Amino acid sequence: MSISRKVKKVLKKFPYDISFVVDEGIVLLEGEVNSHQEWVKIGLNIGDIKGVKGVVNEIRWKGMKEGKTRAERRENIASKNERKRLGKHEVVIIGGGIIGCSIARELSKFKVDVALVEKGPDVSLGQTRANNGMVHPGLAPSKGSLKRRLNVRGNEMYGELCEELDVPFKRVGSLILITSRTLKKYKRYLPLGLNTGFCKYILPWLVKKKADRNRLKGVEILRGDDIKKEVKGVTDDVISAVKIPSTGIVDPYELTIALYENAKKNGVDFYLDTEVVGFAKEDSMIRGVITDKGVLGAHHVVNAAGLYSDEIAELADTKEFTIHPRKGVELLFNKRIQDDVEHCLTELTLPSHPTSKGGGINPTVHGNIIWGPTAKEIESKKDTSVDKKDIDEIMERYSKVLPDFPRSEFIRYFAGVRAPSFTEDFIIRPAKEVQNLLHVAAIQSPGIASAPAIAEYSVEMLDKMGLKLERDESFDGSRRAMDRAAEMSDDELRSRIQEEQRWGNIVCTCEMVSEAEIIEAINRGAESFDAIKRRTRAGMGECQESYCLLRIADIMSKELDIPLKNVKKEWAESEFFDGTVRGEEG
Amino acid sequence: MKDVVVIGGGPSGLAAAPEIGKKGYDVTILERNGELGGLLQQCIHEGFGTLLFDKSLSGPEFADIFINRVHDTGVKVELETYVKSVEKREDGFEMTAVTPKGVEIIKTRSLVYAIGCRERNRFEIKIGGTRPAGVLTAGTVQRLVNLYGVLPGKNPIIVGGGDVGLIVARHLYLEGVESILMVYPEEFFSGLPRNAQQCILDFDIPYRPRTTVKRILGDKKVEAVELVKVDENWDMIQGTEEIYRCDSVILSVGLVPYSEKVEELGAEIDCKTNGPVVDEFFETTVEGVFSVGNLVQIFDYVDDAVQTSFVAAQGVDKYLKGFSSKRDKPVKLKPGKNVGTVTPQVIAHDADDDIKIFFRPGIEKEGARIELTSGKEVLKHQKKRYVRPSTLEEMELPRDILSKKKEVMVDVR
Repeated sequence: MSISRKVKKVLKKFPYDISFVVDEGIVLLEGEVNSHQEWVKIGLNIGDIKGVKGVVNEIRWKGMKEGKTRAERRENIASKNERKRLGKHEVVIIGGGIIGCSIARELSKFKVDVALVEKGPDVSLGQTRANNGMVHPGLAPSKGSLKRRLNVRGNEMYGELCEELDVPFKRVGSLILITSRTLKKYKRYLPLGLNTGFCKYILPWLVKKKADRNRLKGVEILRGDDIKKEVKGVTDDVISAVKIPSTGIVDPYELTIALYENAKKNGVDFYLDTEVVGFAKEDSMIRGVITDKGVLGAHHVVNAAGLYSDEIAELADTKEFTIHPRKGVELLFNKRIQDDVEHCLTELTLPSHPTSKGGGINPTVHGNIIWGPTAKEIESKKDTSVDKKDIDEIMERYSKVLPDFPRSEFIRYFAGVRAPSFTEDFIIRPAKEVQNLLHVAAIQSPGIASAPAIAEYSVEMLDKMGLKLERDESFDGSRRAMDRAAEMSDDELRSRIQEEQRWGNIVCTCEMVSEAEIIEAINRGAESFDAIKRRTRAGMGECQESYCLLRIADIMSKELDIPLKNVKKEWAESEFFDGTVRGEEG
Repeated sequence: MKDVVVIGGGPSGLAAAPEIGKKGYDVTILERNGELGGLLQQCIHEGFGTLLFDKSLSGPEFADIFINRVHDTGVKVELETYVKSVEKREDGFEMTAVTPKGVEIIKTRSLVYAIGCRERNRFEIKIGGTRPAGVLTAGTVQRLVNLYGVLPGKNPIIVGGGDVGLIVARHLYLEGVESILMVYPEEFFSGLPRNAQQCILDFDIPYRPRTTVKRILGDKKVEAVELVKVDENWDMIQGTEEIYRCDSVILSVGLVPYSEKVEELGAEIDCKTNGPVVDEFFETTVEGVFSVGNLVQIFDYVDDAVQTSFVAAQGVDKYLKGFSSKRDKPVKLKPGKNVGTVTPQVIAHDADDDIKIFFRPGIEKEGARIELTSGKEVLKHQKKRYVRPSTLEEMELPRDILSKKKEVMVDVR
């Protein structure tokens, strides 16, 4: 059956008048539906069809916000800047998340002139920032998917990469827990005894078989007390577990910052605070990337724009996929909690969710414990709000796994927005309509784990697209992490203070961060409070900035030579304070 | 080896150190900031000292009295000193302190923790929405305005009717912000009635009781909040949501004792007060480690908080001389169902003096009867015209009524 016929068949299931066009595996949908939910559902159904390489979902839903203003705004900025020259490079990467930065660093191993454009004032401000840091082993992605190949390979590359970049990475291993809830939905068909037997013997065996097929090493099946030994305080409902030793944890923004610093050291030009608003094209080739600061000439362009990768594709006149934003909320716990969670824990429930692995309980490399993420389809790519019911949902869900965990001792909640396409696989391929544009898009989970392999694969693709690659012998892959007072021995710290007394001024007492570290972060390019926070961990402890905010803002004001009220949280127009008392000059 | 190290140079540490020092001990205060006084230095309003000195002083004036005592009694002071770790040794304690001069190892026979409390933040009260710039705690705002002359915004909303919030509201109002609103979940402000009158009511500052912030709105900077009405259990009443435009959210939603450090040392923590469990001399469950002021529990008046220091000073003296009065089994003091917190939590000694206990009522009641009971036996009772959770109550506890008791309950009826 042709794709067209399959699409027609799927659309018949929905009570709407939807028109479609299929072109080389790309399906363009148009029409109107009642709700955003329906929009997602149709998109996913079409994306599921074998042979479909992309779904451009231009169906409108009732109450949808007009997107036109955004396009107009970009055109406006483009017309003002299309004659200004900003620079010229062989490769321009769009997007400074973990993917863009990984590709930048990978390319810096070659004699290629590379630039990276990021609209935010720092790297890792999109999806990357809110990730829970789990380096997945490569069990979940389905057979034949690009995801699976890159995940398994990416995971293998992590140890060496993080060692080179001086970034903490721990292979803590993960446990997939099979409990009395795993087959709850099949209860009608399974009498209790059979259910338990199935959960105890057959299901873990099936999981292990899949792991073996994906070439994961050292996978073990655990039962009874062996599980309790591995996971203190685990629920009595657990029947069996599958342990995967290769699962790891990393700090996603620290790794991204490290990639950025190292790529920069090896000659990559970073244009931060620079937004792509259009392309200068000649026939089917991009000649220049138009930004709000001017035009960057380019031979090859990489679209690693995450949530906005579909809009970048559209700006280049090559609509091939639509990103449907999916929010994930995470709950971060106090380091003080004594209940050690040593491994990443996930409770298996079947049938598995079509688009999410269900989140879990993870340790972080900094000694916190993190619960989540949730998965919720949302209308706006910018919606990172968290509601009380999100928090309650997480608590309820994971308390079932660790019933005695002090769940009320969380110190923060936050949300990130994933950038999946409707085909739910990574999209890494040359653009259909533009010869020198490479899409590295729709990177959702396990994007962090896959990132090193995605970079490698992207460079292979660029090679095929005609980019001349010659090894640069002067490449230096090493990077030095920030020194941390909290991690130093007394003698080390003492000698640092002798050289520079600001090492002895502790400004964040929860995480024990010194003034010298704040200054070092500023010297490494941080200009906002959050950029400092990501580099130093100041403000990430129990009190959540209530002690250190003003003290750090004061240091920033002095070091950056700006008035206190101009100190920013992150973006332009995110100043913490506004106004002065009577009698003071405004 | 020092006799006593007092950690924290805020009001309760400043009160404890000279009181111990004048008995002839070698006492040192370690303070993480560059000056003594703690939070008092940012409290430029008056109202301090009314109970102790019968005068209404500003925070710095109140602090000065004790700073002078510190200097007069020869107490040593180490500023800009961050205590990284404390370990128990056979003959006392060994602490590692970080200062701009280096990393010092300090040995002491006993310890007084006077490290106070921190402000509760938006996450602890589960305010939803986004996480933009402009969400600040009231203490940070007080410091910002008083020490830097900078305002948090032109259209602030103050969440929670606690004392710091009330004082900050008045201050911002007087500094000429364009709009201001205070919301709080209680029927009446949770701060002292005196502050509510002088800070809000006298200036006609708009306020809304039984209201809270459900969500914060705004991408980069606070743009608005979603207000919602709450019932008497503080549960949100659906359908009462309302968008209120503002550019900053100031939180005055309670204080939490900084108990992390004493907990690390092995002290038992009271889950009601969130501070360490202490006896009538403010000794924690770790021998030789005392805890005073807002670390023990949150006091309404600094005058009351420093009284714990005076009592603890006697305790430290007794400890250093080798306590001879310890009971075999301490009497436990417990809050009844209408009481939130009680301190001290245990009575560990046999002595002649009476004990002063502090408790925070869990309910609001006119014509209340306060009872001390052991099982069904009422040991003591007294009448109180009015009790409410916002006002900490105190009561004398005669030691003689404790004989042969294991547990005494404090309750309001």
